[in-house]
Amino acid sequence: MASDGEFKAHSPGETIEALTKEAEALKAKLEEERQKLNDVALSTVAERLEVINYLNIKPRRVLKGHQAKVLCSDWSPDKRHIVSSSQDGKMIIWDAFTTNKEHAVTMPTTWVMACAYAPSGNLVACGGLDNKVTVYPLSLEEDVSTKKKTVGTHTSYMSCCTFPNSDQQILTGSGDSTCALWDVESGQLLQNFHGHAGDVMALDLAPSETGNTFVSGSCDRMVLIWDMRTGQCVQSFEGHQSDINSVKFHPSGDAVATGSDDSTCRLFDLRADKEVAIYSKESIIFGVNSVDFSVSGRLLFAGYNDYTVNVWDSLKCIRVTLLYGHENRVSCLQVSPDGTALSTGSWDYTLRVWA
Amino acid sequence: IGLSDTAVMDMMISNLQQQRQVTEQLRREAAIKRISVSQAVLDIMKYITEHEQEDCLLVGFSSQKANPFREKSSCTLL
Repeated sequence: MASDGEFKAHSPGETIEALTKEAEALKAKLEEERQKLNDVALSTVAERLEVINYLNIKPRRVLKGHQAKVLCSDWSPDKRHIVSSSQDGKMIIWDAFTTNKEHAVTMPTTWVMACAYAPSGNLVACGGLDNKVTVYPLSLEEDVSTKKKTVGTHTSYMSCCTFPNSDQQILTGSGDSTCALWDVESGQLLQNFHGHAGDVMALDLAPSETGNTFVSGSCDRMVLIWDMRTGQCVQSFEGHQSDINSVKFHPSGDAVATGSDDSTCRLFDLRADKEVAIYSKESIIFGVNSVDFSVSGRLLFAGYNDYTVNVWDSLKCIRVTLLYGHENRVSCLQVSPDGTALSTGSWDYTLRVWA
Repeated sequence: IGLSDTAVMDMMISNLQQQRQVTEQLRREAAIKRISVSQAVLDIMKYITEHEQEDCLLVGFSSQKANPFREKSSCTLL
């Protein structure tokens, strides 16, 4: 019987001690390499830019209809419709221009934590405490629930979902700490993503020009970048001091922004392989639930538990303005596909559109 | 505790596999090619500057008529 935890594996150097020692050395080396290249602060480089003096962003629509907290929303690719899901167990499809409700679907579960539009605009997916992701083809002729199809099941709640490239595949994140890629038609699990040590709370796809990667954020405080084809984690970032609730790629594809319960948003650059900005103020003590960039990436919108949306200048790292209006936590927000508007959803049961 | 030899060996194998995975992941990450923060930041700034004019929430609309969410003008049906 081997003693002291030594177990002879394939190659001689591969004892647990040797591997652990190597891991520690690698971690130290990583920190050293990242620091060597840390030659300037983002806000310093951004000093030469003009300050953003004025933003003409006003509340334009209030979408009323949910009977409980709004948990998630997603713009349709047509830049006009929005799907939202709520703790009341309903998924509603709104025409944001007119505020009309075009569909209302009752889910068998309450706490529908995630919803998403497919690229065609003809299909929506949602799920939550039922641990499943279910797709609903949108039809004006019949009840949307009749053709629904359960695509995948996790071993814990589903917190987020998105369609990577087409209506045929869907990517999900779960309280079971994994992400999964599913084939919509067959329900087959195409790829599994293991690496987080806590609930996955958010994910976002890299902008299409930059390939098949996505980012995930978790209660384990880590931001992980994944290769969709191999299932491998290709990069990781730490820095947040509490659960990460939201992750979004910068439109350039070279960085990701995050929002956390630690009341800060941060920017991690993929090519510098480190955190390059932190968006925080002493007066902001409430958690961030959702973040999104404006079309150019200059503005970072963040929804907080103190009912406000803070609009940050992503380069100068200062807050430009606050958007007031919601009467409870802002749980989700998203810039419309063409960047003309911002939608926000809240525990006050409403969604608002700002433009 | 009274674990059998095979149970102890199973635990050791799984601990070894876990540590191997952790170390291999770190090897991959250490091998990433990095650029300096100054270069990375310049590239992001370049992207932003190139796209600023298309960013309605940032620069606004030339006239509010172009805003699809502008206040609906009041019409009366006669």
